[in-house]
Amino acid sequence: MSNRTLTLMMGFVAFLILAVGVVFVVILAAGGDGDGNGGSDRPSEGSTPTKKSASGGICGGDKLITFGSDPASVLDPIQVRDEGTSEYVVEVFGGLVTLDLSLKVVPDIAREWKVSDGGKTYTFTLRDDVVFHNSNRRVTANDFKYSFERAADPANGSPTVTLYLSNIVGVKERFSNKATEVSGVKAIDEKTLEIRVVQPSEYFLAELTYPVAFVVDKDQVQKNPRNWTQKPNGTGPFRLVEFTPAERIRLARNDRYHLGVAKLAEVVFELGGGSILTRYENDELHIGGVPGIELEAVKGGNSPLSKEYKPQPRMSVSYLAFNMRKPPFDDLKVRQAMAMSVDKERINQVLFFDSQRVADGILPPDMPGYTESVSAYSFDADRAKQTLSESKYAGKMPRIVLTYAGQGGDAPDVLTAITAGWKEILGIDVELQASEYSAFLRELRRGTFQMFSAGWAADYPDPEDFIDKLFHSESVQNEQGYSNPEVDRILLEARSESNKEKRFALYAKAEQLILDDAAVIPDFWPVEHLLVKPCVKNWPSVPMTVPRYRYIEIAATEE
Amino acid sequence: MGPGLFGYAVRRLLWAVPVLFAISVIVFWILRLAPGDPVDTILGRHYDEERAAVLRDKYGYDEPVYVQYVKYMRNLFHGDLGVSTRHQDFTVSEVIWPKIKVSTQLGAMALFITFALGIPVGVYAALARGTFLDPLTISFWLALDAVPVFVAIPILQYLFAVRLGWVRLGWEGVWSPNIIMPLLIMSLPGVAGVARFMRASVVSVMHEDYVRTARAKGLKERTVVVTHITRNALLPMITVIGLSLPGMTAGALFTEQYFGIPGIARESLAAVTAPDYDVILALVLFGSTLFVLANVLIDISYAIIDPRVRVGARRG
Repeated sequence: MSNRTLTLMMGFVAFLILAVGVVFVVILAAGGDGDGNGGSDRPSEGSTPTKKSASGGICGGDKLITFGSDPASVLDPIQVRDEGTSEYVVEVFGGLVTLDLSLKVVPDIAREWKVSDGGKTYTFTLRDDVVFHNSNRRVTANDFKYSFERAADPANGSPTVTLYLSNIVGVKERFSNKATEVSGVKAIDEKTLEIRVVQPSEYFLAELTYPVAFVVDKDQVQKNPRNWTQKPNGTGPFRLVEFTPAERIRLARNDRYHLGVAKLAEVVFELGGGSILTRYENDELHIGGVPGIELEAVKGGNSPLSKEYKPQPRMSVSYLAFNMRKPPFDDLKVRQAMAMSVDKERINQVLFFDSQRVADGILPPDMPGYTESVSAYSFDADRAKQTLSESKYAGKMPRIVLTYAGQGGDAPDVLTAITAGWKEILGIDVELQASEYSAFLRELRRGTFQMFSAGWAADYPDPEDFIDKLFHSESVQNEQGYSNPEVDRILLEARSESNKEKRFALYAKAEQLILDDAAVIPDFWPVEHLLVKPCVKNWPSVPMTVPRYRYIEIAATEE
Repeated sequence: MGPGLFGYAVRRLLWAVPVLFAISVIVFWILRLAPGDPVDTILGRHYDEERAAVLRDKYGYDEPVYVQYVKYMRNLFHGDLGVSTRHQDFTVSEVIWPKIKVSTQLGAMALFITFALGIPVGVYAALARGTFLDPLTISFWLALDAVPVFVAIPILQYLFAVRLGWVRLGWEGVWSPNIIMPLLIMSLPGVAGVARFMRASVVSVMHEDYVRTARAKGLKERTVVVTHITRNALLPMITVIGLSLPGMTAGALFTEQYFGIPGIARESLAAVTAPDYDVILALVLFGSTLFVLANVLIDISYAIIDPRVRVGARRG
């Protein structure tokens, strides 16, 4: 047999294999098109024979599988600094008080508390039925004393302790090593804890709901100081049974939880990211996320997923800030003109398919103390042009650069749309400049940016967290260099006002002044786009991170 | 191997030390020169000088860069790669080794598939030279190579998972069937390159005198192709395989992202954006060590094949 014939024979066989492959692919494609109306449509539930039925598969059992972000820190309450990591920590640990689903401060380990000494002393009485997960030891006032001491110890380097707990007498002193003890926290007896505060404050209890105030097991921490957070002994509704970075976090029900045992036996957070929507469609996840570009396809009327779409408003705001120390933003007219020429509604329609909430103020609507009547400048091209012509920079506008970091603020396409509007309406060229996040933060503090895009998310549900933190002239977070003595005066008054309604009214007044000054252009109150399988019952829609998985139940639906 | 070769190998290995040292210095300094440090991102918008000072003290970032470097190197010699600022309870070794392991396992399997397919395809294309089957075969594999992974992955995931329900996409370990798709996506695009190299190699060998001699002896065509042509054509392939070995551990970013694979490429991205100084350094040092070692090995193997290389190196 010659060389040539062999080659051709092999070729023939190979061609057959290829041909079979091609036919196979064609059949697949044809079969795929048979049950949908073309590429963009999603298949309907159960239309493909191989699909697991809705009642079996992941809808049987009581294990919830969702996705989560890889923790930005260890699961130690005093190290947690972002909402993504808090989500796990609030389920595993607990403190004196917690937030319920309507964001009200409610008792957790404390049964009740008394406020005395003109609001300066809190006396907490602890429940006597709270035990740590892995031991039968009851939580006592001494555990809280230890936990607060540990949080304030500078050797432990908590990034949040002086942020949330500096109102406790002695925390600042301990953290700066001027004292050896947090003098304001005292264990009176096993069941009584006394906390003294520097200043009477309406939102002190809300600050205690933050993880840095949670209780940890002294015995465990001291026995295994380096690795205890991999199997932490908390008091929350769930126990941490597995934490593999970049892979998964598994929580199992705490059968002795004092506020009501969870209905789910297990919650699994998949940390791998990647193709969440596809995995949701493939019945691998109970909760899915929708990336921006898929929104239209998912929300569209004939997509079966549209019924499972759940928008989840977040208690946050994204905004564009002017540096008022730099020209041309020292001129109110320039700021006003630019604020009036951002067409948020249109951007929302075109880029977000109407799924975002256009911000008409700084405080998001979910925030207690949100006031309907407060309003930002609305879009008005003619008035914007008129205002700009009255400015001292009219006709001689300096170069303007807007810096963004792609984290916290608006997405680049939103910024492009906004700057196009300024160009079109006002004839102002604004250059966009991207920055790496840690460098962005550093320059932000130094006040080098002329203009920047940023976002702010609530640390606790109180207007003080937005209005005072971002706009008081001496606040560290007032990166735009906003300074209005009238606003400062109102904020100071609000800090010591004990009547809630009056306090909220003061913040509303300050907010309106800030908006009139066009210190920032709030553009959106962000919404997270989720998909929830129909068999997941009682999925709570909460704009902040609070313990919520114990309310959820999985029940197969017969349709 | 003679004493000359041994000396050459030792000299080449010793040269790797200053190279790695230079890399460590440069990377260390570049990281510190960049504006913003891990403490900036840890504190984020809630930065205040007091907390920043406490944290910088905790991680030693408040010291001059050369002091930090000396400390780092001292720990490194004790086998301590430092502490991850992103996962504070984990040492750098605990963070990166499991991921290197996953990426290397997948990388090795993908590399095996690539060569196991590429070599026969190349031989076949060379034998079919002059017929339409040669360009057809090579084009088919080139077409696979030409599809960007970020286009191929979502389509394949949708087709095989959602439409057909044949596979699950989550990460369930290296030894689960879920890795078949990522493996094929990592390996198939590389086949074209290997096949073309192999084809060229076979073509250059198939008209050698010893092939004609083998045929003249009346050997079966099969024996001629397998023993005389393919074996000789494989020799230059060894360099190609050798050079692709370090890349095997590097991970595949898109594949890891889309399939949630806890591999080294994803970890590198997270470490750089954090930034997580010690993890970045460890990854860079690991990667450069592998590359330097691979180059030394290749040089040594050349020296074995061609003694003139040794002599030249001694003079130079």
